Amino acid sequence: MSAVAHWSSYPAAGDRLLSFIGIEIHWAILQYVLGLPFMAFIALLLYLRSKDKAWMRFARTLTKGFIIVFAVGAATGTTVEFGLVLLWPHLTEAAGRYIYFPLYAEIFAFLMEVVFLYMLWYGWNKLSPKALAVVAFLGFLGAWYSASMILSVNSYMVAPTGIMPAYKPSGLYFYSQGYPKIQVYMPKDLVPLLNITALKTAAHVDILGVAGDSVKVAIPSRVVQELVREAWSGAKLQDSVLIHFVNKTTVQHLTLEQVQALAAKLGVPAASLAGAKTPVEMLLSIPVKNVLDYILITTVKHIGFMSITFKSPVYPATLMHTLGSALTVSGFTVLAGYALRLLRMPENADPEYRRYIEKAFKFAAIFAAIVIAYQGFIAGHEMGRAVAYWNPEKFAAMEGTSEHIMSLSKLLHADKIMPLIAYGSMNAKLPSYDKIPVNYCKCSLTGAPPVQDCRPPIVIHYLYYTKIGLAILLGLYGLIVALVVIRDKWSLIDKTLNIVGIRGGTIPSRFWLMLAPVAAFTAQLVSTLGWAVREIGRKPWTIYGVMTVDVARTANPAPAWQLALIAIFLLSISFGLIYAVYRILWVPGRPKT
Amino acid sequence: MVGLAPAFLALTFGLHITMVNLGIGLAWIVPYLKWRADKGEKELENIARALMRFYAATYGVAGVFGTAFTVFLLSYYPHFLGFAGDITMIPFGLAIMMIVLHFFSISAYWYGWDRWSRKTHYFIGFLLGISALLIPLGFRAVFAFLNIPAGLGYDPTHHKFYLDVTAALTKNPTYWPLYIKSIVAAFTTTFLVVMGAYAYKYFIGESEEEKKAALKTAKMFAKPAAIGLGLMLILGLWYAFSLENVPYKFNNVFASLGWKVGDGKAYYNVSWLFVLKMLFYLFQIAAVAYAVPALLKGRLTKTHGKILLYAGVVAIVTIAAGEYLNAFSQYPFFVAVWPDVLSGRVPLDKLASYGIHIPAQALPTVVNTINSVVLLDNTPTTHHILEAMGIAKFFPQTSPVNQIAVEGPVVALTVGFLAFLLAAAAYLVFYVLLWPSKTKAEQLVEAEEQY
Repeated sequence: MSAVAHWSSYPAAGDRLLSFIGIEIHWAILQYVLGLPFMAFIALLLYLRSKDKAWMRFARTLTKGFIIVFAVGAATGTTVEFGLVLLWPHLTEAAGRYIYFPLYAEIFAFLMEVVFLYMLWYGWNKLSPKALAVVAFLGFLGAWYSASMILSVNSYMVAPTGIMPAYKPSGLYFYSQGYPKIQVYMPKDLVPLLNITALKTAAHVDILGVAGDSVKVAIPSRVVQELVREAWSGAKLQDSVLIHFVNKTTVQHLTLEQVQALAAKLGVPAASLAGAKTPVEMLLSIPVKNVLDYILITTVKHIGFMSITFKSPVYPATLMHTLGSALTVSGFTVLAGYALRLLRMPENADPEYRRYIEKAFKFAAIFAAIVIAYQGFIAGHEMGRAVAYWNPEKFAAMEGTSEHIMSLSKLLHADKIMPLIAYGSMNAKLPSYDKIPVNYCKCSLTGAPPVQDCRPPIVIHYLYYTKIGLAILLGLYGLIVALVVIRDKWSLIDKTLNIVGIRGGTIPSRFWLMLAPVAAFTAQLVSTLGWAVREIGRKPWTIYGVMTVDVARTANPAPAWQLALIAIFLLSISFGLIYAVYRILWVPGRPKT
Repeated sequence: MVGLAPAFLALTFGLHITMVNLGIGLAWIVPYLKWRADKGEKELENIARALMRFYAATYGVAGVFGTAFTVFLLSYYPHFLGFAGDITMIPFGLAIMMIVLHFFSISAYWYGWDRWSRKTHYFIGFLLGISALLIPLGFRAVFAFLNIPAGLGYDPTHHKFYLDVTAALTKNPTYWPLYIKSIVAAFTTTFLVVMGAYAYKYFIGESEEEKKAALKTAKMFAKPAAIGLGLMLILGLWYAFSLENVPYKFNNVFASLGWKVGDGKAYYNVSWLFVLKMLFYLFQIAAVAYAVPALLKGRLTKTHGKILLYAGVVAIVTIAAGEYLNAFSQYPFFVAVWPDVLSGRVPLDKLASYGIHIPAQALPTVVNTINSVVLLDNTPTTHHILEAMGIAKFFPQTSPVNQIAVEGPVVALTVGFLAFLLAAAAYLVFYVLLWPSKTKAEQLVEAEEQY
């Protein structure tokens, strides 16, 4: 099966593609909302320190840039939100029920963004520079706060709190023992109804200990996903795989009152059980969703309903890496804007204008170089380590550790150094894609989910290495331009640049300036590829180890032509926005009559 | 007494919907004024700009509160949203696409003022207006669905609900009255607000030129506002008649005033809110009848101006009152007709006339599923209503609200943050946006420096 065919073989390909387009458009815009207010804040601080009006003008231009895209960013955010509700209603329902808090708290962040970013723009002529700096601080803080909330939910989807991966860096695989597993708090009043021995031996459920009102257990994700599937398909206990793990002795001795009390506790209306004649019959007519809900709510309360997503093991790295990406894209885009201004600078330009443009360009060059170095050496590295530990299947696909493909990591001999980078030891071993069972996510009793291969699509190997290659080129470009703009500060840098043939002053030559727009586009591309690897690499899961894409999607999927129409509409709006920003920011306004 | 979750929903929805109503009107008024300014009435240019600036900011805040509403809905009622998400792809999808187009149009129209060619600017203005009308076309379909779930079907083979969109739009007696009434109300309110604001500004304007433009604007919207108020009476009646199909909701509003359907019992009486709304409406009628003739005949006094300004403010409050009336008259149910169906006030065979298709063998499943998502809370008021209607046995004893979303710390956080941000938003709107800034001369100097 080809790499692309493998990707499209997972359910809901059209919905996934439309979601990708919608989220990508939102993300492409959002990076500026995260990055530009931060840059404007720094520019305002520089103005307050130096009283140089060029910094004020720079801050004003950055503010103008993000205020235009902010409204559309907010609109695309609404699209993404509704898109999730309409395309993936079951995921949305689960998120709203169990991990709602960061989504809820994000609203306040969004309010902060709107109020303070608009205040910065509309209050420019009414507020003092110090007040503007405070407002800019609150504005970018609102944007970062917003991102930190949403990213915690996404991190939870990548590696839910309590996930136990199926691979150890020493080269040990635990798929045959039912891993990956999820730690769950089973309410004590449900435990007697279950056959613990059967659960341990046949389903590989581990008892981890007692915790107050519940028993902490580790359940194989193949079992968890089956229960989630049953819950959202409306199945009752009589149709569930749980029927194989019922403690028949206990259940047969239950009285009608006991079952009724349990049903009431689980939120089952009395009228819906009215047809059942015996206690067992009544128990088995309870919907799986009510039982699962009781277990999951107990789990969420034990872990902390306000903090559960923030405890995802990949969250810190995700936050660092994503903010770094936004700053990188913003930095290179601003660099490109001012590079174009320099390229079009007339000979007889106002010296003050020239000074402003050069100052802004130099700032952007240094900023871009710093943030891409941070991305590569700190945030990106931490992200990679988190994936290696917590998503071994994705990591295997990213590194292309299969014997059946042309592995770029092997070709470049990166596989030799990767154990050290990923696990901190040359003795560690990378997980082999070929050793991961193709059915590791499937419930052996039902065969669900309906996928041929549970492993992530191998296409992400090529996406990932393309991303890394482009990021290295971007980093080199950022480094060179930054060194050029500070060459007058250190003679060593100047000498080095002269040796490699980069001569001249502190403004790069036309060649390097003309590369700046390419760099800005590349920064967006690298960010997009990174996001694609993260999302595609999680398939067939929507929430890793918990919910697969076919369960998350709507029961009434739209036909392909409707999805295509929406995609075309969204892309048209995006191109319209790019053109509008170009016209509004770049082309001078008509003189007023 | 309603629970916390419906109260927070009502608060965010109220803030959202009032600003949105102004947005629908301004989406047409601003391009219209700009067009007239381009045709030679230069004094309208500044008015169009001022209204556009107000529109863009308030619409942004409206968008945030709209998003807050949906996130609150998700957090408090995840099962309801999951159920709704499965079947409302078309109406919500249409609304969302138009929201994107609308926000894009606002940005492109505002920031591209004097930068696009006139034709392009008019075209963007047209997109602005059209999208403003199409957003509620989708959302009002959902609201009408919450009156009567017309077009709802159940597929027993695949065990899923679905929506027949054609039936939802054509067989729901409440849809078109609700949509058209909403649009006319939005325009009427905006006309009243703009007329009132500029009638008053006529007396506080700094220059003769400014006063002249203010008076012209106020006059321009006087007749449309009066016509709109007249139409509202007819459209209001139309919507009220359509609600006779939903006895629970209808009786909650009208039964204690003597207009009844079915058994005529009101289980959650909100007729006081209807009376209040009517008083607001009568105030607007009286204000228009008193001050508009003077305005049109050029005999406007400051008292007239103030009364028209108050009429504008009252019009906004009337919008909120009307929306709350529509929402709370079906409390504590998401779907207004559902208690009538459960209690037998609306017979099952009547549902087929709304395009609702439920196979007989699937009826228990359908009833259980809808029962599991249809309640708003489990306060004593709710229990009292369910008991009085004899339908309590159909509902679970546990709370329909996601309890971890209304825990003490979350509520405290919500109240604190909302208070802080509302204060900041008020500062933004009233100080930063509406307070006069630097003089025209100072602004011109700065603009020249900019270019």
